[in-house]
Amino acid sequence: MKPFQHVNASTTDEAASLLHKSRGKAKLIAGGTDLLGILTDDILPAYPRTLVNLKTIPGLDSIKEDSKGLRIGALAKLSDIAGHPVIKDRYPMIARAAGSVAMPQVRNMGTIGGNLCQDNRCWYYRYPNHLGGRLICLRKGGTICYTLTRDNRLDSIFGGPEGCFAVCPSDIATSLVAMGATVTTTRRAVALQDFFTPSPGTILDADEILTEIQVPRPREGSRSAYLKFRLRKSIDFAMVNVACVLTVEGGLCREASIVLGAVAPTPWRAKGAEDVLRGRLVDDAAAEEAGQIALANATPLTMNKYKVAIARVLVKRAILASA
Amino acid sequence: MKQRTSRRPTVNLVINGNPQVLEVGVEVQPWHTLNYTLREVLSLKGTKVGCSHGGCGSCTVLREGKPILSCTTLTIECNGASIMTIEGLRDTSVMTAGGMRGTTTGNLHPLQQAFIDNYAFECGMCTSGMILSAEALLNSNPDPTEDDIKEALSGNLCRCGVYPNIVKAVHEAAKVKKND
Repeated sequence: MKPFQHVNASTTDEAASLLHKSRGKAKLIAGGTDLLGILTDDILPAYPRTLVNLKTIPGLDSIKEDSKGLRIGALAKLSDIAGHPVIKDRYPMIARAAGSVAMPQVRNMGTIGGNLCQDNRCWYYRYPNHLGGRLICLRKGGTICYTLTRDNRLDSIFGGPEGCFAVCPSDIATSLVAMGATVTTTRRAVALQDFFTPSPGTILDADEILTEIQVPRPREGSRSAYLKFRLRKSIDFAMVNVACVLTVEGGLCREASIVLGAVAPTPWRAKGAEDVLRGRLVDDAAAEEAGQIALANATPLTMNKYKVAIARVLVKRAILASA
Repeated sequence: MKQRTSRRPTVNLVINGNPQVLEVGVEVQPWHTLNYTLREVLSLKGTKVGCSHGGCGSCTVLREGKPILSCTTLTIECNGASIMTIEGLRDTSVMTAGGMRGTTTGNLHPLQQAFIDNYAFECGMCTSGMILSAEALLNSNPDPTEDDIKEALSGNLCRCGVYPNIVKAVHEAAKVKKND
């Protein structure tokens, strides 16, 4: 890695002020599992002058539950979330999603805030500078999205509103959006689904810090399922993941929340599939139909039609698993 | 003993039970990874360098007993941490009797011995990381199932594909450790 300075922040205000004063020359570091890969490969034209360490801020990694729901500090480690008894018991989908991220070592380092704010995995965007020079793609201010004419097997099947077809890689985001989570930053509070943007990925300003994630208590009698498809069962990012929360009463579906991940630049809510389930008996046929509807508007690229088939089946399975 | 008179900040580590004080700007730079510090500054070459991107697990070490990747950890962020590398697993207790009195036994840890006995490696690139992930597992779960072992080692890639022997070795080491 090229040189940088390193500062341990003791409060979020201090960290935000350091970001502000740096005029874009400082970067936050939480678990570092994403950032240090980016810096090692030097993929971005701007290399940070300073890293501001958030791990030294007391209490930012807390996990609490009250009558309203769960409050997770942005610096809570993925392994602590996956193994937390209250989360496993009352919010099992979040524990499963956290436990599905990467590998045990990364979960011991990576944080929930970092997982939500991580950069995308497009291999053109991530092309290392030391192997013949980084690629200045559309997302970096260039004029071309390399994915469109080259290998796009891992990219969006629901378009690229800003011209970039890289998908949101977060496992946690899919499950949290399905649970109706909200997030707090140093500047505002928003629904998690509004936190994500196609490019640059989140709504965060250059000097704004994600501090907490809130998850409402699941509706009485609701059940959930989180499914992740990847090439290898360990380590890999999702090719598709699906989070589904259903409330079934007297055999009929009352409420449905279905979100797909790794299929679009932001977590993708399958509203049509949710609508078709409400008021219906949740059986194989209904789940099949919901899967069809969820993918009906897909616009796959030249090499990723297979993701449509995977997503359709995962939606169906997630519905049946949470019925 | 050398007196430290400079006012440079330091990174204080306990590596395999031995305290280490590293001066920032001298032995440690802010951009140094723990992997670099272990191998190039402290000459502990048992920790391997694989992909350097957090994708293979060959650089795994234990921090406070938990497996982490030394390639995506900054040394400067490890101040006060206790780190275990593969070198720390060997028995370092000192013999008190016999002709070798005063030297360490150097006996292999049950996991190290079981990996040898079960041919649980070919090239050895993944072995340090595998053994440390397995050590963390056995410390929290002395009687793991095959699935527990596979899950615990799921972040360690073996390019020779010796996985079945590795699972056997961990099972065997668990038995040996329990009988100790």
